[in-house]
This record gives sequence, structure tokens and C-alpha cells, in this order.
Amino acid sequence: MSRLREWLYYAALWLIALIFFAPIAWIVMSSFKTRSDILAVPPKLFFKPTLDNYVDLFNRGEIFLQIANSVVLSIGAVLIAVVVSFLAAFCFSRFRPKGTDFLMFLLLSIRMLPGPAVILPVFLMYVAFGWKDSHLWLMLFYAMFSIPFSVWILKGFLDGVSTRFDETGIVNGGSWFHVIFKVVMPQVRPGLIAAFIFNLIFVWNEYLFNFIIGGVNTQNIPYALSVGTYSDGGVNWTFISTMTSVYIIVPVVFIYIFQKYLLVGMTFGTVRGEV
Amino acid sequence: MTNSFDKRAGSGLMVPRRSLLKGGAALGLSTFLGAPFINRLHAQESHPLAGQSIEMNILGIAGWVPSSLGVKMSPLFAEYVKEKYGYDVSFNFQEAPFADLFQKAATSLVTRSQEFNIIISDSQWLGALAQPGWILQLNDVIAQNPALDIDWYSKTVVDTYMTYPDGSQNIWGLPQEGDVEALFVRKDWLDDPKEREAFKAKYDVELPSTFEDFENLTMDEFEKVADFFTRPDEQRWGFAQQYSRVYDFATCAFNNFLWSRGGELWDAETGQVEGVLNTPENAASLEEYKRWLKYCPPGATNIGIAEGIDVFTQGKVFATIQWAAVGPAMITEELEGKVLVVPPPKHQAPGAEPKRIYSMGGQPWVINAFNDEQKMRVAIDFMNWWYQPETALEFAKRGGNPCDKATLSRDDFDDINPWNRTYKFMLEDGRSQDFWHDPKYSEMLSVQQEGYSSFVTGQSTDAQAVMDYIACAQHQILYDSGTAKEAPSDSCAMTSL
Amino acid sequence: MPPVQQRRRPFARLFDNRATLILTLLAPVMTFFIVFNTIPTLWLLGLSFYNFSLTSGMPPDFVGFRNFFAILASKNGIWFDLSRTFTFVLCGVTIQTLLGAMLGFLFWGSKDMPGRRIALTLLFAPMVLTPVASGTFFRFIYDPTFGVLNYLGRALFDSGPIDFLGNPELAFWAVLAVDCWMWTPFMTLMTLAALGSVPKAELEAAEIDRVPFLRRLTLVIWHHGKFIMMLGILLRTIDSFKTLDLIIPMTKGGPGQTTRLVALELNKQAFESFNMGWSSAYAVLLLLISIAMTSAFIFVLSLRRRRENGA
Repeated sequence: MSRLREWLYYAALWLIALIFFAPIAWIVMSSFKTRSDILAVPPKLFFKPTLDNYVDLFNRGEIFLQIANSVVLSIGAVLIAVVVSFLAAFCFSRFRPKGTDFLMFLLLSIRMLPGPAVILPVFLMYVAFGWKDSHLWLMLFYAMFSIPFSVWILKGFLDGVSTRFDETGIVNGGSWFHVIFKVVMPQVRPGLIAAFIFNLIFVWNEYLFNFIIGGVNTQNIPYALSVGTYSDGGVNWTFISTMTSVYIIVPVVFIYIFQKYLLVGMTFGTVRGEV
Repeated sequence: MTNSFDKRAGSGLMVPRRSLLKGGAALGLSTFLGAPFINRLHAQESHPLAGQSIEMNILGIAGWVPSSLGVKMSPLFAEYVKEKYGYDVSFNFQEAPFADLFQKAATSLVTRSQEFNIIISDSQWLGALAQPGWILQLNDVIAQNPALDIDWYSKTVVDTYMTYPDGSQNIWGLPQEGDVEALFVRKDWLDDPKEREAFKAKYDVELPSTFEDFENLTMDEFEKVADFFTRPDEQRWGFAQQYSRVYDFATCAFNNFLWSRGGELWDAETGQVEGVLNTPENAASLEEYKRWLKYCPPGATNIGIAEGIDVFTQGKVFATIQWAAVGPAMITEELEGKVLVVPPPKHQAPGAEPKRIYSMGGQPWVINAFNDEQKMRVAIDFMNWWYQPETALEFAKRGGNPCDKATLSRDDFDDINPWNRTYKFMLEDGRSQDFWHDPKYSEMLSVQQEGYSSFVTGQSTDAQAVMDYIACAQHQILYDSGTAKEAPSDSCAMTSL
Repeated sequence: MPPVQQRRRPFARLFDNRATLILTLLAPVMTFFIVFNTIPTLWLLGLSFYNFSLTSGMPPDFVGFRNFFAILASKNGIWFDLSRTFTFVLCGVTIQTLLGAMLGFLFWGSKDMPGRRIALTLLFAPMVLTPVASGTFFRFIYDPTFGVLNYLGRALFDSGPIDFLGNPELAFWAVLAVDCWMWTPFMTLMTLAALGSVPKAELEAAEIDRVPFLRRLTLVIWHHGKFIMMLGILLRTIDSFKTLDLIIPMTKGGPGQTTRLVALELNKQAFESFNMGWSSAYAVLLLLISIAMTSAFIFVLSLRRRRENGA
């Protein structure tokens, strides 16, 4: 009896997961359909799949540049952000210099501003200094955007690492450098990974900033998606579904692999073991 | 900490103004210095680029047939200059959809970059691109390149694609694609004998079937046809036109009603909008525009260009008012031979003669003012090549719409594409009109789009109130920018959507 | 504290002195902060007092507070945008939290479920889909002629065509529904994290003591998990306020103005009309609002913390 309940329970959970996943499944399915199949009414569940869309997608000239840009910008920006945030969070956690609370608060309120509000002065600044369409400056800007969240998460985790470790490390003759990177950092790994992944996903899907302060050289995939929505024959459904399907692979894979860390990471440091 | 924050705030005010003024001064200076230099370039040398290899960047319109045609034809240009002048050209293309095109161009041009050397711009952007000096004024270029001094098909062409301010002699663009509104109808449904009988029985007139029939058709007569073909249970409707809030779709479709029924958008001389746009006649036109929704498929309030193509090519509607430029997309393989392209019907305002004035579409080529000498030279060679008779004819053969009298007057022009006859017809002076080229175009357009969209979707129910709101808002915008001489009246404070 | 000595030392030893250590640790974040945040904010503040249109070719022109007055006094302007945005945020976050928490509790007890990891990945997938793609596809799903929802409506309920995105009554809620679809998994994630932060010992003790579920919930689970839940709600509120990418492909603020949120209006004024001065003023107002909102939240958070620490 209880076995049955258990199986029903699992079935219900799977059903819910599938319901949430359904629109995405629809998009992936559409990437294998021809255009008329996608537009067919009633919607076709069974159809003859075709790989033409994928062939077309990878025959586009700019696609590899765009994918490369997406990857480089995301990983670069988030790496910088996490390193910088880690150092800052360590300082806030251990030394609590005056103004810590004020700074943490300010970081958070920046994150609250809508995209256009943030990018407006930055756009003018970039125009004035000639930094538009530059990989470096775009990456630094993305890094800035990833810092608030990372600092908050890492500080939470660092608060949970007892200062005894620091003291022991120093007493044993190690430098602060050793203490920070060799002793403390490994202990906040879930926080680092959670911060990394969340911000990676944000930059990965980021459209507005790339459109405004990026340019021809730094175009990424969300930009390609919005520009490619309309093609000569109307809405370019095949391109959108194929591009989206390809693009979503990386984040989904990351969520699968690092799920454990994500769950622990989002506890902001209140849990040290498994969730 | 608080003290240093205040100090920073104080010094902060200095920084933006200084560097922005510096930027503005540098911009003005470079344009001033650059202009005579370019002229000198054309006068002296004949071909300085022989043996060189140059990269050109074109910004086009995503998902727009004529733009991609222009882009696809550029290898022909490369061959041409290789043979004639001995240099190599390679092209890179960037695209942005209509709704984002100006954004893309402006954010690049404001940095004075050469990211885009040639831009396919929508005709209404001429003012916004010319005013800050971002594009090249072409009067001198045309003077020095007689091939560019072309006899255009009608004055409308010059007014729409070339001059800014309206009515002046300053030329800023050259037509890339001419475009007019056409009515695409399903000829196969019209020719079906059963349909013809049923229609004759119901209305006691024949279904129109030829170009001439439609040329003489009024909206009242057309309404009978649209009603006849509106059969929701068969998933078929009689008519579709643009109502979408995005970009200029609702505006272009509504202006067809407004102008044909005798209204005006503004007084171009004085910049007066209030009192001109919000007349009771225009409000009645707005109601009429909304009334036609009943013959359109559900979801018509979101129909833009792409959706219009989709509903027509999927066989959901009998007739669509659509830009001639997307003819190649409207007439798919499956619809080959089943589509007739005719002029859209005349409107008859109460107490007036029937007439038709429809929106003008199309895009000009504009040249980036910040191109270096090489790229400028190539851009001008490109224009010279584009307007050669052979190129224009090739463009037409591939589905494009050139604007010069020579090509359009050819005997075989009407046969090249199904819509060419309608295109020529609507291009004649007085049948098509463009709206303002003012630099404040974008703001004025978005106010109007919101208003029209709000009315057709039922968010606002009083057409006169909507027109008042739009007219007042637009007048305020023009007054703030100095184009309108008089301030909006006091009653404007009461308007809202 | 040993005094700061200027000596050539290898990089690692830079970390030795406490003062220089703090400086080194904070230097990168402060540089970022100043360059990408402080300077732009001041620029924004300064520009808000000018009338500056990028396309006019004319230099900025000082107008004092006129931009602010124009914004605050405009009809169909900022007050409506704000009220729409607040409604969006409030309803969205509430639905996402309730639904997400429910799902979180459901998934909490499923440690032994086969394929749990995959199921959770599927559940979290909506969060990582590019909003531009979500918007475009849901527009298709909602389409009255081609969309699957209308098809189901016709087939199952024989209903007439429902134009979700074209109907001014429905459009707002249709967009909100998509937002909820995307972000409920986030609240589920936070709930799972929050539940995980409850010490197992206390949970087991409560079970052994046969404490009824409701009391278990309030005494044990809420007591430990509320910090994370509040943080999740805070993060979601912040992000919801910024919604832009999703709306553009779906309705672009329409029909009429029903889905015009603050981010959309600002985007239009700043990057379509290029009214830099006016947009800066608008952005400054949004900044003040977001500071107010964040303060309120932090206050509430710290209240609970203080009460908890004191208790």
C-alpha cells in the first residue's frame, strides 16, 4: 500500500517537472520541424523530423563568432567577478571595516535598477571614452553586474567559516595569502560554484547590454536571436527554435552537474553539508 | 564616508558637462573640417584605390526582403569594380529588425565609428540621422557624379527618400527600395464560379476580378467582398491589415484611412499638430479603422508585417493590405499564380469624392559621414553602380522595386513581378505619402502607436479623446524641440488615454 | 599594529600587514564600484538636469528640475508605469513564492526518487531559458490562430478565439503567467535550500515528539528557514522589478499601455528616442525608489534577525 503511494508520489513529481519543462520541449521539438509543420493547426505532435534547420544554423557566417563571444564574455566576466567578490567578501567578513553595511546595501540597490537605467550613463561614458564594442570593457561591465550577488553569497559562507582557521593558519607561520586561498577558500566552494553558475546564466542570457554597448565584434547569441527573429518570409520560427535549443544546452548541463552545489550555495552559508 | 560622498557629488556635476561639450565640439569640428576635404577628393583623383583591398560594412534591415536583396547583390558590385577600377571589395553585413534599426544605427553613429559604412535606413529616419550630422549630405556628391543625377519616377520619390527638411533642396539619401501599399488578393477564390454565383445572388453585383475593377473599387464596395469571405467556421476571413503597436505598423495602416478621407497629420510649415490631427473627421477615420477588425482574423490587433505575411500565406485571409516590397514573401511557391496584386480601394468620406492616398514605404541608402576616404570612395562607387540601368533591372528581376523613371517606363516592367503594375500606379504623385521626417520622429511615433493600439484593443473607447491626446503630446514634443511655433493650448492639460 | 613599511616584497607577503591587506582585498571591488557605478551614477545625476537629445546634434542645455517636474506631472506617465510594475512584482512574487514553496515541500521528501536529479533539472530549466526566446515562443503559444492554447480551448471547451496578448484585460496576466512559469522554479530552489538549512536533529526531535505538522512548520522549519526564504523573496522582487527582456517580444508594452512597465518606458525614452536628459531624470527617480525598497527589505530582514538573536 505504501509502495503504491510512494510510486504515485514520484509520478506526481515527475508530472510536475514535465509540465514545467513542456514549453521547452516544444521548442526543441520545433527545431526539428519544417516551417509549415511549426505553423500547422492543429499543432503537430507527430511529424517527420528534419535536420535542415541545424544545417542552416551552422551555415550562417556569424554563428561561430556569436557562440564564441557568448562563451568568452560569460566565463571571463564571471571569473573576474567571483575572484574580486571573494576578496571583498573575505575582507567584509573578517575585518568588517567601517562602512561595510553601507557598501553591502549599496551593492544590492544597484542590482535593483532596471537595465536601461544602469546602462544609460555607462553608454554615455563608453561613447565618450571609445570603449564601445570592446570585449574587455563589456566583460568588465558584466563583471560589475555579477559582483553584488557574489559578494552577498560569499560573505554568507565566509561568515560560517570559523576564524579559528585563520588564527591557526597564521600561528603556524603562514601568510594571509596562504590562509585566504589555501585554507579558507576550499571551504566555501559551494558558495563559489553557486555564485559562478548563477552569474554565468545571467550573462549567458543577457541581451540589452550587449545590444547597447557591444557592437559588431562582441555580438552574442541573445542578440543574434532578437535580430534573427524576423527573416524574409515572416517570423523565422525555425531559426529561433534551433538557436534556442542549441543555446540552452550549456546552462541545463551545468544545472545538472552542479545541482548539489547550487542547492547548498543558495543557503547563503547557513548549511555546510548536504541539502 | 558621508563627507567624501558629498564631495564626489559636487565634483560630479562638472565631469559630464565638460566631456559632453568636448565631444560635441569635436564632432562639429571634424564634420566642418571633413566636408571640404571630401569634395576635393572627388574633383581631383579618378581612381586612387586600384590594387587595394577594402572591407565595407552595410547595416540592413533584418527580415526585410529588399534589404537582403541589396545585400545579396553586393558580390555583383565587387565583380564590377574589380573589372572596371581594379580594386577588391568585401562586404560584411549587420542587420537589425525595423523596431531596433534606428537604435542600432544611432548607438553606433554617435561614437563616430565606421562600424557601418552604408546604412539602409527607413525613410522617416532621415531627419534624425541628418540633424546631428551623422550622414553625408549628398548634394555635392550628386553634382560631381552625373550618373546619380537621376530622373526619378515621381516627385514623391524625391520627397520621401531624399530630402530633409521636407520641401528643401538638401539631399541626404538615395532610394534603395521604393515601396507602396498594395492589396494582395486570392485570385483563385475570386475566380471560383461557385463563389461568383453566390456573391452575385447576395449583392446583385459581380465580384471584382481584374486590375481595373479594383482600381475603381471603393471601400464600401470592397466591404461587401470582405464580408462575403469572412467565414470563421471555415477558419477563413475576408481581410487583414496592420494594427500592431510595434514600430510604425498601426500608423501606416491608419494613415491610409486618414489621408484618403481628407485628413492631415500636421501643418508642415508651422509644425502645428493640435487642431490638425485631432479633427472630428480624423476621429471618425479612427473609428472606421477599428471597425474593419470584424473582417480580420482573431489576434489582428497584433498584426505587423510578418504576421500579415503569415496569415496570408497560410490561407487564412482573402485579402491583405501589405507592402509591395514583401511581394516575394507573400507569393510563396504554393500560392504561385493564385495571387492578384491590385491598388487598395478608394475611401469615400461622407460628402466627398472617393480618393486614395496611402502610406509610402521604402528605404533610402544613407552614407556614414565618418567614413574615411577609402570607404567613402567605395560608397560612392557603390551608388554609381546601383543606379546603373542594368543593376536596377536586375534588382527588379529579383523582386526589388527601383524608383527611376527609365526602368519603370520599360514596356516589360509590369511583367517582371506581379505587383509591379500596382507599384507604378501607387507611385504616381498624389497617391502615396510619407509622414514626418522630423528628428523627433521616434517620440512622436511612439505616442501615436500607443494611442492607436489603445483604441483598437478597446483600452480607450473615445476616438476623439485618443486623437486629442496624441495631437497634444506630439505638439508638445515639437514645441519643445522648436519646430512648432505655438505652444499647445490649455485644453491639452486635460487629455489622457 | 606594525607600521606600514615601504619595502620591495614578493606579492604574497603583501598580505601580511593588516592595513595593506584590507586595502588589497578591497581595492579591486572598490575600483569596479567607482568606475562602473559611482561615476556613472553621478553622470546620471548630473545629466538629469539637462535637456539633451542625442539626435539633435546640439550640446546639452541646462534646465534645472524641469525634467523631474515633467515626469512627475505627466499623465499616463510614471505613476501608471509604477503602479503596473508594482502590481506585476507583487502578484508575481506572491504566486511564485506560494507555488514555489509548495513544490519545494513536495520535492523535499523525495530523496530516493529515481532520476531525481534529472527531474529537478527539468524543473529548473525554465529559469535558464533566454527571456528573448521565451517571450517569442510564448507569443506563438498564445496566438489565437496558430497557438496551442487556443487550439486546446477550441477542442476541449469549444470556446471562441481568445487573443491573450491583444486583449487589454488579459495581456498583463498572460505576461505575468509566463514570468511565473520562468521563476517559480527559482523559489522552489530557494525553498529546498531553506528546508535544507533546518538542522536535521531538530526535525527528528520534532518527529519523535510527534509534534503536529503545522506546529512543526512554524516552530522548527520556519524558524530556521525564514532567512533564506526572505532572501529569495528579496532577490525575486529585485529581479521582477527589472523585467524587460520578456516583455519586448511578447507585447512591447501593448496593447495600448497595459503591459508598459518602468523598464520598458525607460528603454524607449533612452534608446529609441535618445532623450538622455529626460531618461536620466527617470532613472534617478527609479534609483530612489529602489533604494527605498531595498532599505525596507533590509530593515525587515534585520528586524527578524535581531529578534531572533535576542530571543
